Amino acid sequence: MSDNKKWYSLDLGLNNKKESSGSCGCGKSEGSCSSTPKEQVEEELSPEEFYEAAINASIGEERHRDGFEQVFDVKMDRRSAFKKLTASLLIGAGAVTTSCSVTTGSDTKEKAQIDWEEQFKGNYKLMTDEEKQGTINRLMRSYELRTDKKINMTAENAAEDVLFGYAFNISKCQGYMNCVSACVEENNQDRNSEMQYIRIHEMKDGEGFKFDKADDNYYHEVPAEGHFYMGTQCFHCDNPPCVEVCPVQATWKEEDGLVVIDYDWCVGCRYCMAACPYDGRRFNWSKPEVPEPEVNKNQHYLGNRMRKKGVMEKCTFCVQRTRKGKNPACVEACPTGARIFGNLLDPDSTIRWVLENKKVFRLKEDLGTEPKFWYFMD
Amino acid sequence: MKNRTLIYFVVVLLGVSLFSCKGEEEYHSISDKIEGESKPYHGALTSEQLLADTELIEITEGEHTFLIPERKGQIKSFACIECHSKPVSQMMGKDAPKAHWDIKVNHANSDAMNCATCHNGEDMNQLNTLTGKNIDFNLSYKLCSQCHSSQFEDWKGGAHGKKVAGWAPPRASNTCVNCHNPHSPSFEKRWPVQFNTKTAIERNEGLGH
Ligand code: SF4
Ligand code: SF4
Repeated sequence: MSDNKKWYSLDLGLNNKKESSGSCGCGKSEGSCSSTPKEQVEEELSPEEFYEAAINASIGEERHRDGFEQVFDVKMDRRSAFKKLTASLLIGAGAVTTSCSVTTGSDTKEKAQIDWEEQFKGNYKLMTDEEKQGTINRLMRSYELRTDKKINMTAENAAEDVLFGYAFNISKCQGYMNCVSACVEENNQDRNSEMQYIRIHEMKDGEGFKFDKADDNYYHEVPAEGHFYMGTQCFHCDNPPCVEVCPVQATWKEEDGLVVIDYDWCVGCRYCMAACPYDGRRFNWSKPEVPEPEVNKNQHYLGNRMRKKGVMEKCTFCVQRTRKGKNPACVEACPTGARIFGNLLDPDSTIRWVLENKKVFRLKEDLGTEPKFWYFMD
Repeated sequence: MKNRTLIYFVVVLLGVSLFSCKGEEEYHSISDKIEGESKPYHGALTSEQLLADTELIEITEGEHTFLIPERKGQIKSFACIECHSKPVSQMMGKDAPKAHWDIKVNHANSDAMNCATCHNGEDMNQLNTLTGKNIDFNLSYKLCSQCHSSQFEDWKGGAHGKKVAGWAPPRASNTCVNCHNPHSPSFEKRWPVQFNTKTAIERNEGLGH
């Protein structure tokens, strides 16, 4: 591995068993040979030493630059750093204790190793492609170790000359909500709390947009007489306030315009939720649960991979699909063709035709958030 | 000496004005950015693979050239003349079996439209325009566009209707009949596919405080 790796990996000797057994006279890879490196590791890491090592590993600038430093580029004294990292360290400590134990099985050790490396990896947006590949490999392996099922996760970067945009035809939407269901299935949203990224608002004809009077939880035959329907979700603002307020830079705008979240970097402060003028963000109050057979196993690191408790999530324009050239799940599911998606930079794309030939408008345009989501009518 | 300073200034100004249009945050708005960076997409992403299983034909309407799904292969009892061996006028009435009993025309009113408005009674393998010209079943959108001209404009541009697969080129769009039943084209009322029980509970009982 290169020297400028941005996370710290603790070398527990798990990966160099061959070498160690070679250097040891008895040839055993685990257990009783007194000179095996394994036992040395155990001896080396007395609790105090371990904490010291872990702190050094994660914040000591003389070693490797870690995530905090990458993001803030400030030096922290050890005291405050220690306070901030206690929670992380406890997890890390658990992982290492398991890794060092001679009695636990190799699966458990591998899990622990993965947990450790995941715990101390850097911010995704600063990772090299190799590091991205590394983390998705670990996440795929971890899922396999835990559930015996395989998932397919990618870390595809934004394609060049692509800027995603979305248009919504208010006169076409009939309120069927196929988009909502498709989104939940595609993006592995929590079934218990019925989390949904898309809202369909039922509004009265002739009154304009009155969100306070709109019903977004109707259940009757649609379209209802005298009403029209409009959808909202994250608008992937070009000038996103949610990104500005995030204290740890866990959310950012990608080159192709997608506003994404690194779920492992989010500390769950919900500043972004408060800053979003469009109700675009959702928070996990509990651990999201999806029945195993329903899990969508085609995942992207920044998209529909499994989330945890206490992190933010939102619509990503189905990054796992759109970076492969597909349409988002909602666009595909809409039976009336009310949803149009495409590349804003391509003058031949249908979204461009809509922007240039229909009367389009955006919500709360005066805020200067520059949503990349336009509404239009027939 | 004076000249030199002038040249120097001009060069600096030029340099500044050139470089100031580059870099990350130079666009005032998203529309500036779209205008500034526009160019036909020839990137690596394509929909070709997604379209591989669909039989498509290329059409050109005005300045738009794109793909639409082939239709005749999808019609179960095509070719029609396998049954309609004689012109409709000669097969009508009497005790001939009624094959299309399940089709109810619910499209405009009966003064404006009947079967023959679209179907060519002399050659059932063809559709026909209002003035009696033949239209191939694969190009049935030409028939619809006679009346629904504004929808046709929107469809050509991509504001009406759905794409067949992805957003990436080549563009493949569904035609009118892929979404609308030509004999009963309007979408029906139905129940939403989703009911959010949690929101309903919260609304009825408050958030537990
Ligand atoms: S809609 Fe909200 S969550 Fe989405 S980018 Fe804009 S501010 Fe952020
Ligand atoms: S909730 Fe997460 S993404 Fe949102 S502002 Fe806080 S840390 Fe950033």
